[in-house]
Amino acid sequence: MPTFSLIINTETHQVDVSPDTPLLWVLRDELHLKGTKFGCGIGQCGACTVHLNGIAVRSCSLPVASAAKGKITTIEGLSKDGSHALQKAWIELDVPQCGYCQVGQLMSASALLIRKPHPTDVEIDAAMSGNLCRCGTYSRIRKAIKLAASKNG
Amino acid sequence: MKNGIKSLGIENGTPSNDLKRRDFLKLSGLAGAGLIISIGLLDSRNAKAAAAKGIFEPSAYLKIGSDGKIIIMSKNPEIGQGVKTSMPQIIAEELEVDWKQIEVVQAPLNNSLGDQFAGGSTAIKENFTELRKAGAAAKEMLIEAASRKWKVPLNECYASEGFVFRKNTNDKFSYAELAEAASKLNVRENPKLKEKKDYKLIGKAIGGVDNSKIVTGNMEFGIDARPKGMVVASIERCPVFGGKAKNIDDTEALKIPGVEKVIQLDPTQNPTRMVAGVAVIAKNTWTAMKGRKALKIEWDYQGGEIESDLNLKTQLEKNINSKGELLRNDGNVEEAFAKSTKVIEAVYEAPFLAHAPMEPMNYIADVRSDGVDVWGPTQVPGSVRQLATIITGLAGDKIKVMMTRVGGGFGRRLMADYAYEAIYLSKTIGKPVQVVWTREDDMQHDFYRPAGMFKMKGALDENNKLTAWQINASTTSRYDFRGSSDPSYSTEVFPDGFPAGFVPNFRMEYLPAKSKVPRGAWRAPGHNITAWLDQSFLDEMANLAGKDPVAFRLELLGEEDKEMPYSDHGGPVYSTRRLKNVITLAAEKANWNQPATKGTYRGFAAHFMFGAYIAEVVTISMRSTQTIKIEKVVAVCDCGIVINLSGAMNQLEGGIIDGLSSATNGAIHIESGRVKEGNFDDYKMMRMKDAPEIEVHLVDSDESPEGLGEMSLPPVSAALCNAIFRATGKRIRKLPINSEQEKLQVF
Repeated sequence: MPTFSLIINTETHQVDVSPDTPLLWVLRDELHLKGTKFGCGIGQCGACTVHLNGIAVRSCSLPVASAAKGKITTIEGLSKDGSHALQKAWIELDVPQCGYCQVGQLMSASALLIRKPHPTDVEIDAAMSGNLCRCGTYSRIRKAIKLAASKNG
Repeated sequence: MKNGIKSLGIENGTPSNDLKRRDFLKLSGLAGAGLIISIGLLDSRNAKAAAAKGIFEPSAYLKIGSDGKIIIMSKNPEIGQGVKTSMPQIIAEELEVDWKQIEVVQAPLNNSLGDQFAGGSTAIKENFTELRKAGAAAKEMLIEAASRKWKVPLNECYASEGFVFRKNTNDKFSYAELAEAASKLNVRENPKLKEKKDYKLIGKAIGGVDNSKIVTGNMEFGIDARPKGMVVASIERCPVFGGKAKNIDDTEALKIPGVEKVIQLDPTQNPTRMVAGVAVIAKNTWTAMKGRKALKIEWDYQGGEIESDLNLKTQLEKNINSKGELLRNDGNVEEAFAKSTKVIEAVYEAPFLAHAPMEPMNYIADVRSDGVDVWGPTQVPGSVRQLATIITGLAGDKIKVMMTRVGGGFGRRLMADYAYEAIYLSKTIGKPVQVVWTREDDMQHDFYRPAGMFKMKGALDENNKLTAWQINASTTSRYDFRGSSDPSYSTEVFPDGFPAGFVPNFRMEYLPAKSKVPRGAWRAPGHNITAWLDQSFLDEMANLAGKDPVAFRLELLGEEDKEMPYSDHGGPVYSTRRLKNVITLAAEKANWNQPATKGTYRGFAAHFMFGAYIAEVVTISMRSTQTIKIEKVVAVCDCGIVINLSGAMNQLEGGIIDGLSSATNGAIHIESGRVKEGNFDDYKMMRMKDAPEIEVHLVDSDESPEGLGEMSLPPVSAALCNAIFRATGKRIRKLPINSEQEKLQVF
């Protein structure tokens, strides 16, 4: 097995896995960063969203070999203590129902806010429509993104 | 009336009521000084429990430690319906504590908690009184402990925010200080309960107790459990329902580094008759999936390959045109149809649907010779334990079921098939095994919402009043699939549902259709189709009568308030007063009596189910002659007393999205005995860009509370289709709306 060096949440990790292993399974099975979720395996639901160099990517469809050179941020690295404006907004508006997709939603939303600190509805739609929420919490997610954005000054 | 069990979809014998018939409350000692109250069964409920075999009596734990901790055990699976917050909220109300003082802990499956499951939107309605009594009994005992310490009468003491105070003094004891003394007192059997006007917590918006963990990625779902030494299994199942493996070549799979074993799941050779499959067991998930792809399997389809949508359609068409089992026959429909000059006959059709919860099916089992530990997402932990007993031969008390938060249920996880796979495999290889399904596995091996066809016929009299209504229904009955002794029509059609009882000539017939496609309970079983077709066809009749759809419904219900007999879950009666009220309020909130904003069109629907009343108005706009945007949904719901306002709104909003999503795009197609859809690319679900604005109103009510996990879903499809009719003159009688036959694109 080849060894890959990954920079995840500012720490460097060495993993011995086959090069076709999706980043998702490296995170979950090798590094025990289980906040990132498996949902569809083909980049259709967004449950596995992480940041690669600040951009939202679907880790289920990203081979580890392609991720090895970038900076990866997972939910565990979004903030140390749940203090990211989006995390606070999610709690304030009681967004989750089952909660399974919400990590992916937060990672997509946080990547959006990096690019667009004050996104429009259209921009929110475009950034968030790759993330399914089977429980249908979309209206609260939208409100929470706006709430967090409003604190961006 | 069978106490609603029919709708719950409990299968494989979730432990029958082998509950200890204890008195209402039992006090037990606790390690360290403290007070544990376990709520047993209410005497008054025992008879009901016995009658309702398979339905579960409520119980819960409340733990107040001398260390100041107040722990409320949440006993039911949390699948996103919010019970882990709302049920403790009820206890905390009566206990008189500040919500911030509470720690909610998920209980494992535990005999002393009674039965634990999630289904039928029953947790709140069935547990409301018992949970209040649990809180109130504890509070009274704490007050008694304080009164003894102070040596003053009980009525000089009162509880508030986690303290007992002595009236007209500054004296107080915290609950922590009283816990040990209270633990030695006799249990209060009939504590006084608070009146609604005094509620401080019930009815308030309380955020989910797991929210902090969820947003930081620290929430443990079933798929996240990791017992030491765990291996992962990925299972290739026979793609055709009812088939089995003929020849398995695992040579290539076993060559992949990390693949440990290949094990056949032969339904004839295992005690739970799991779906035929071949499991590849590996050191991690990806390797197991890769190994599985390398398998070469020849299947024997056992004749299952002949099933298709096309031949199911032929069967359904034949059934709705044949004499079915007569479920209701008021007056004489033939005569009424013969006499009337205004008759509509129409055929409605609804497809199979997948549940597709976001967390794929998965389960972990660690089977040892002396016991079994299991983890994973399920709505029926009791079924898991029972099946573990069947597979391992170990007694129930040797089987430890850990209940993790569940990434969505929608009825799928009333079936514990994937848990059995894990238990069987762990027993076979002697290691902890996690079974992980892919999304394709889930989509193609679900227990689908039954498909059906319905011939509707209605007539108006000379005064344009609804005089006759006939329904000839045929569905792939889910009760037939499971070999239940209940009649085939159970939860497929509802002989007492509105407008039955309001049409002088009413006839309902039913015939089941045969299919090998597995069927199960899908959010709001039966209602998810019947509300659509009843409320659509009512709209057809209102239009034929030249009457406003809201006025037509109100006229039909009549001015006099009635309690209508209702023999299904949510009965024994429903109130026309409450139904008319939500109809009137929804019309008011949506400005129904004012013309719609230019370019928009509205549709109306209302429904009673599981004890709750709901009316919905869908507003759409035409983006082009064939493109329709769902703009807004206004819903008014009367679910009795609301427990958690935030949770209630969340459930109703979510159900509306689910209903719109399935109505517009939901369909599972069968070809050559197998499911065509595989993932979210071809089984489309609503996304944020298409989610309409939703406005929910809850009726302020003193009636007993009802669950809310399902109610908002069924009527919304009808309200949408009725709006589409207004906009286009096109009547949608086949779901999903966005199918190849229809020229419409609704989003």
